[in-house]
Amino acid sequence: MSEILESTEIGRPMVRQDGPAKVRGLAPYAYEQPVQDPLHLHPVQSTIALGCIVSIDTSAAEALPGVVAVLTHENAPRLANTDDAELAVLQGHEVGFRGQFIGAVLAESPEVARQAAAAVVVDYEAEEHDADFRADHPQLTEPNAATADTFDGDVDTALRAAAHTVEATYTTPAEHNNPMEPHTTIALWDERGLTLYDSTQGPHPVRQTIAPVFGLQPDQVHVIAPHIGGGFGSKGLPHANVVLTALAAQRSGGRPVKLALTRQQMFTVAGYRTPTIQQVRLGADDDGRLSAVAMDAVEQTSKIKEFTEESGQPARMMYATPNRQVTQRLARLDIPVPSWMRAPGKCPGMFGPEVAMDEIAEACALDPIELRVRNEPESDPETGKPYSSRRLLDCLAEGAKRFGWDRRNARPGQRVQGRWRVGLGVAASTYPFLRQFSEAKVSYSADGTYAVHIGAADLGTGAWTALTQIAADALGVSAHRIRLEIGDTALPVASVAGGSSGTASWGAAIIAAADEFLAKFGVEPDPGAEVQTAAPRDSAQKEYAMHSFGAQFAEVCVNVDTGEVRVPRMLGVFSAGRIINAGTARSQFIGGMSMGIGMALHEQSVMDARFGSFVNHDFAEYHVPANADIADVDAVWLDEVDPLAGPLGARGIGEIGIVGAAAAVANATYNATGIRVRDLPLTPDKFL
Amino acid sequence: MNEATVNGQQRALTGIGAHTTALDWLRSCGLTGAKEGCAEGECGACAVLVAQPAESGRSAESGQSVASGQSDGADGADQTQWASVNSCLIPAAALNGQEVVTSEGLGSPADLHPVQSQMAANGSSQCGYCTPGFACSMAAEFYRCGRAGEAADVDGERSTDGAVTDDGGKPADGAVPADGTVPDDEHGPNGFDLHALSGNLCRCTGYRPIRDAAFALGAPQDDDPLAARRRKPAPGPVATDITGDDGRFVRPATLGETLDLMAGNPDATVVAGATDFGVEVNQRGRRDPLLIAVDRIDELRTFEATDSHVEIGAALSLSEVERKLDGRLPLLEGMFPQFASRLIRNRATIGGNLGTGSPIGDAPPALLALGARIVLVSPAGEREVDLDGYFTGYRQTVRRDDELIKSVRIPLPVAPLTAFHKIAKRRFDDISSVAIAIAGEVADGVITRARIGIGGAAATPLRAHDTERALLGNPWNEATINEAAAVLGAEGTPMDDHRASAAYRQSMLAQALKKFHAENDETLEVSA
Repeated sequence: MSEILESTEIGRPMVRQDGPAKVRGLAPYAYEQPVQDPLHLHPVQSTIALGCIVSIDTSAAEALPGVVAVLTHENAPRLANTDDAELAVLQGHEVGFRGQFIGAVLAESPEVARQAAAAVVVDYEAEEHDADFRADHPQLTEPNAATADTFDGDVDTALRAAAHTVEATYTTPAEHNNPMEPHTTIALWDERGLTLYDSTQGPHPVRQTIAPVFGLQPDQVHVIAPHIGGGFGSKGLPHANVVLTALAAQRSGGRPVKLALTRQQMFTVAGYRTPTIQQVRLGADDDGRLSAVAMDAVEQTSKIKEFTEESGQPARMMYATPNRQVTQRLARLDIPVPSWMRAPGKCPGMFGPEVAMDEIAEACALDPIELRVRNEPESDPETGKPYSSRRLLDCLAEGAKRFGWDRRNARPGQRVQGRWRVGLGVAASTYPFLRQFSEAKVSYSADGTYAVHIGAADLGTGAWTALTQIAADALGVSAHRIRLEIGDTALPVASVAGGSSGTASWGAAIIAAADEFLAKFGVEPDPGAEVQTAAPRDSAQKEYAMHSFGAQFAEVCVNVDTGEVRVPRMLGVFSAGRIINAGTARSQFIGGMSMGIGMALHEQSVMDARFGSFVNHDFAEYHVPANADIADVDAVWLDEVDPLAGPLGARGIGEIGIVGAAAAVANATYNATGIRVRDLPLTPDKFL
Repeated sequence: MNEATVNGQQRALTGIGAHTTALDWLRSCGLTGAKEGCAEGECGACAVLVAQPAESGRSAESGQSVASGQSDGADGADQTQWASVNSCLIPAAALNGQEVVTSEGLGSPADLHPVQSQMAANGSSQCGYCTPGFACSMAAEFYRCGRAGEAADVDGERSTDGAVTDDGGKPADGAVPADGTVPDDEHGPNGFDLHALSGNLCRCTGYRPIRDAAFALGAPQDDDPLAARRRKPAPGPVATDITGDDGRFVRPATLGETLDLMAGNPDATVVAGATDFGVEVNQRGRRDPLLIAVDRIDELRTFEATDSHVEIGAALSLSEVERKLDGRLPLLEGMFPQFASRLIRNRATIGGNLGTGSPIGDAPPALLALGARIVLVSPAGEREVDLDGYFTGYRQTVRRDDELIKSVRIPLPVAPLTAFHKIAKRRFDDISSVAIAIAGEVADGVITRARIGIGGAAATPLRAHDTERALLGNPWNEATINEAAAVLGAEGTPMDDHRASAAYRQSMLAQALKKFHAENDETLEVSA
């Protein structure tokens, strides 16, 4: 257990440090980094889902004025390591999914590159592909790299004996992260190695991934990313576009090469959340005590690279029950490679079970909050470890009070106002605490400021601001004496801005460096005094189950005539340990909940299995919430510090806001209409 | 020399072709505040401000034909307005002689613009990629003529400190008022119209910090240069002829020149707001040999309201039409907010929406229900055709290549009962799954007039003739409506796609008619 840092700056709603530059449009994103005389890249993508390239004719493309080179598998530089099939671009003639990069054009302008890419003629030998995701897929397999199945007790027997059961199938669709900034890279080779201006959630993870692919030492790869236009997981790991840009830059005659994916291309090569099919079975006695919890999830992955969504995770640990069963199976298909999207596993994995909880509450004639009270575990059901903190019930109680839960009519379909049916719903939320290895450097300047260096990334979360506050408190000075530098591998190693772990991981490193600095140099250091160190490893995570919890409340209106669902009001109450910046935290929670409303109402990437591609691959057809979809969404948090969650006592907030949000909305639509929709999104046709 | 005024500075329009977008040109000038998020006018990350002629809604009273931008401003009224537009869809060449302000041009190097300082103070940016576009859209609304009211007292306490304390936790009032209307909250206490932001997407903040900033805006200061700019005339159209290796862009000075150019170049493409064409350019690589810009031709920008008809110039933007109609035609009033977004409506023209012939355009069903007629002009003269019958096939119309849509004429009086319903997957900023417009009249309990236009139900916008026949002359009651609703459900050939199933589309058409009856039945009973 670490000593908790005293706070002066921490907790304050300090305004975003990067705000003025961003509102003026002056904050530079990857594509806007000043480079000399760049070339522009446009990929050629496969138009079949499975098979191989028989011939590829680039003559028409090469003939266009302004084209510098056309890369294909036949002429592309060889990569040093092709173990990761997603990253092994242009290394062979095989095609593993529709939209895969099979070539690229380097040209003097983006327009010419694009025109030339369209002029490349490819002859394929197509094989029969399988892009049809279904629960009864004949070759469902266990994941190679994921949590093993949970079998505790005897679920089947318990269900047979249960007074009340819910057995139903719930589905969540494929969804795309769709950060506002497309994935963008500038690559430049020189005598020192490879420089990448990349739109990434982790400069150091990009270096660590890319270096071996090109046979480089990590210090030969320099990644720069001061501002990132969102990511939500899709920029957590480098995708094929980064490799393609670096590869092409080996053929640019030393000129920098720029690639910004189009919005459409982002739907095939930048990751996405896999669809899930969740068979959930709950058994309860007359008092509403769960005698069995089973979650059998099926997800898809790409045949060329395994990714497991881990949507079984929450069901393992949410509620107390003697009989548990959680399995995850994968349908391996000829489809784009799925990856992280905000709260991977937890977000879809809390849809089915939390709707099922609503269903069994009704079966037991219990309020859904009371049902959760009766099934609160004393220790982690999966590991038996004690919780460092588990305040789900406090969140539910606080939310019920603030939201006016007592006005909910337990009988569905009772509240009709004009042409709208109105209902209230609740669901729980959870996200695990995670801390990763990071280092930081503190140095003192003659002007009385402290330079704090860490190779972290701010993808919009507020790291520029929160880390400044943490550094100020760690050094015991006011925030204006801190000069923070992030977003560059020239700075000390920092973990990815992902898994809601950034602030805890980087903050702990900054605190460790500050502590050592103060111990070594005191409060009146000489200019030039400097310390670089890593945060000590955390033993608490071995001994305790460490999770954040939350309660999501939603009020919905369902139109009697059209089935349209609106969410006029939503409240999230979260227990996430210490909050570093009240302003940015609130925005993160509300932003997560709003994305959850998108998941509930709109978001769905529609796969056309005949072709193996997502058909609604742009903002016109893939709907993220617009201003009018988000009404009175509010978030509050329990005022607390988790004494076991590192020296900050903070567990992370980036993802918990989305978890459970869609279930709360879905449960509210049931309360409004009496129609139980178990398949997201909650489109109007499902309520008619 | 071709040039535009950007952030108060003259910039030569060099290095551009006919299809270069304003966004690409601005960014090539080093102004990278405007950004590409989708390249199709959905996300607004590319939004910038342009100076447009202001017009007041009632400036063209009965019988008076007034081309916009001609008010003399003697009464101190604004002559220029700042409109926020999607720069990714506008040809750079169309900016010739125009004035543009980007996020970098708001405020001064020393001071943030009021919109920017509110956005910074309220944490309206997270990743910041959408932020410059929001700033421009918000600034356009900040300067909107007639926006009134004081800044909201945004509950700063709550917006900055969300920790649960002992005094918190009072139950909130239910958000749904007892009258059954879902709260729209479309305006802030300072008169800020949230539709101003309907074409800007944000993926991080959940919009609330952005809304807080918008509602905290006061009125522009007296010495605000962009506010002062409104009192002088907007830049007029400048005849333009730019040839690049991708084709030629021409802005003719007169209608005559336009028609001559069209006659001599049958393969020419007429563009007005370019909100549809720009998508083709960006997404499908469309490059046409000759683009003729008609959006500033005076003869196409007339507006006339007489006792017998309303005539709307084809090159008026949807926003201009909305302001000029000023509520005169409730059916169109219901359509405007549903039509894409403010960013698009500031550029998209009524003629363009008819010209593309899209089966899912929002204006055609409304205009069909209003019995609109289209005035086509060519060197041979003018002819008027009924909109019913204008569409001949998927994106095909009776308009000849040498003809231009001059105006839309709506006969008056319009039937007293009207409705417009657009069913889409998202409330605003979306393509319709199906749209329906109804205009009818009931006399002595019998339906005496009925005209219905539908979109999204076939390869063209449709007039629902069979349904109209099922209504006309029959009693205004549930039996008639149910019978007609069944007929309406069978009109057209709606399809199953990812926007909606055919069954849902059919069901929505039928529901819309029932809703029309239910809503107006009460009114009729009350007034009886």
